[in-house]
Amino acid sequence: MQAEQQLKASLKEVDHLRAALDAHAIVAITDPQGKITYVNDKFCAISKYRRTELLGQDHRLINSGFHSKEFIRELWTTIAGGKVWKGEIKNRAKDGSFYWVDTTIVPFLNEDGKPRQYVAIRTEITDRKHNEATAARLAAIVQSSDDAIIGKDLNGIVTSWNKGAEKIFGYTSGEMVGASIMRLIPTDRQLEENHILNQIKQGASVEHFETLRQTKDGRTIDISLTVSPIKDVTGKVIGVSKVARDITERKNAEQKIHLLNTELEQRVIERTAQFEAANQELEAFSYSVSHDLRAPLRAVNGFAGMVMEEFAPQLPAEARRYLERIRNGGRQMGELIDDLLAFSRLNRQPLKGQQVDTAPLVRNTLEDLAPQREGRQIEILTGTLPACWGDPALLKQVWVNLISNAIKYTRGRAPARIEIGCETDNGENVYFVRDNGTGFDMQYAHKLFTVFQRLHLADDFEGTGVGLAIVQRVVHRHGGRVWAEAEEDRGAIFRFTLGKET
Amino acid sequence: MNEIEILVVEDNADDLEMTLHALRKGKVANRIQIARDGAEALDFIFCEGAFAKRKLEAGPKVILLDLKLPKVDGKEVLKRLKGDPRTRKIPVVILTSSKEQNDLVESYHLGVNSYIVKPVSFELFVAAVQQLGMYWLLLNQPPVPE
Repeated sequence: MQAEQQLKASLKEVDHLRAALDAHAIVAITDPQGKITYVNDKFCAISKYRRTELLGQDHRLINSGFHSKEFIRELWTTIAGGKVWKGEIKNRAKDGSFYWVDTTIVPFLNEDGKPRQYVAIRTEITDRKHNEATAARLAAIVQSSDDAIIGKDLNGIVTSWNKGAEKIFGYTSGEMVGASIMRLIPTDRQLEENHILNQIKQGASVEHFETLRQTKDGRTIDISLTVSPIKDVTGKVIGVSKVARDITERKNAEQKIHLLNTELEQRVIERTAQFEAANQELEAFSYSVSHDLRAPLRAVNGFAGMVMEEFAPQLPAEARRYLERIRNGGRQMGELIDDLLAFSRLNRQPLKGQQVDTAPLVRNTLEDLAPQREGRQIEILTGTLPACWGDPALLKQVWVNLISNAIKYTRGRAPARIEIGCETDNGENVYFVRDNGTGFDMQYAHKLFTVFQRLHLADDFEGTGVGLAIVQRVVHRHGGRVWAEAEEDRGAIFRFTLGKET
Repeated sequence: MNEIEILVVEDNADDLEMTLHALRKGKVANRIQIARDGAEALDFIFCEGAFAKRKLEAGPKVILLDLKLPKVDGKEVLKRLKGDPRTRKIPVVILTSSKEQNDLVESYHLGVNSYIVKPVSFELFVAAVQQLGMYWLLLNQPPVPE
């Protein structure tokens, strides 16, 4: 009776133990052949199989294929030999998802010492496995980084030291872990480390701080530091993580760029000085031309004039004619010098750009040229002339030269016709001056704008060959183009564009 | 009446002869003094050196001044003239070959009365010299000396 009661109590105790076990663990029992004879609710829940689907099956049903044959064989050899097996197993649930279980398999033996059943008790560790994998991946990243990634405690003692740190500073992880970070810091910068540590202790970070560090072999290198606090779950700062990048090469490159820039600036200064000197020389030359070349010319003209004035009656007609030729030559040379000077001054004058009203400018020009039109029958047609951007004085010179050419080369036409206007071509204003004058042969058109080039005899049409060269120079300086079309004895048209405001 | 009417300051012999020709031909002036450089011009005007015995009041009434001169250049002569109260009122006509804009502007700053670029053409040259002489000698009444 007492035995029965004891047995009852004992069975009750077993029931309680099993309930406790079921509450905590995944439990399965198999026969010696591995057929499942019992599963608890947790087993069903995690494997997502119903109990009826599991009973009578073996564990291949939840085999994930992850473990090697050797692994499985070792498990069976152990438990078949009556020994307890412990290990971590990856299984596959009915829906194809995987889960990890920490497993203990206990063989229950019969009187012969042979297993009569196996009791497997498991705990799920899927999350832990995940975390381990993540941690391993992060560790691999840290290890493979070219940057030095260093962990320190708040006293500056190194707690971790990656491959990048080994490469940059030359110390192995073995040499550094447990040692003070101070051995990397040049003596004159030790205060800097304390300053950084103080900031970190207050929870602040230091980013891209550029400083110097010493390597194991005694070199001083430029590094960029990013230092952050490591906090525990309560937010308390318990350590320091430090990422250091070797920027020696970048620093060198920066220095080289700086040096090159300085050199370049120096060269620009020198070139500018040379250019200014050349400009001054040109200026002096122009001055000399304007002053010194004109003086002897004045003498030629003057004394020839004085001879004519004082002694003309005593001279034979031929001598007087020759003197006239001398004075003509002198006058022409005077014009040449003046034109040449005007031409060279064009390049030295700065362009004073502004909005220019073309119509009044042209009207003005025509008034200025009235003396040239005197005694001539000239019809002048002026079309619409849109405003433009440019230097009014220089643009006036363009109009003066083109219109006075038109007046000159229509000499002998009655009536002469001069048309002044503007057309639009692709949205661009093309100004033109057209005449019905003597024109020119288009095969010489390329010579038109060359200084001192003339397409007509001075006997027929006077001139120095500078006017159109000036026109082209001005137009080019405004970013425009100038060109001409003509037919001999039928007239010519000169067209030009001006660039946009600069 | 032995006052000097016109002082011609000119280093170029050709220009000088043409200037004199024009002045005489146009009957502009008879009493003409010539200086061949800036130093001589200053000596004459301020009665120094070779002209120490001259009286400052004895003229000239007009000065024709070249800019490019040996020793002391025309601008310096102009500066000295216009900077001295005794000579400030003498009309000065710059007669030069230079067409440089700078020279012109600077000369006006220094107080020049006329600025003429010597024409290359003989007729224009003669006309310019005669008209200038006339204007400053006959038409332009100089202020009464203080």
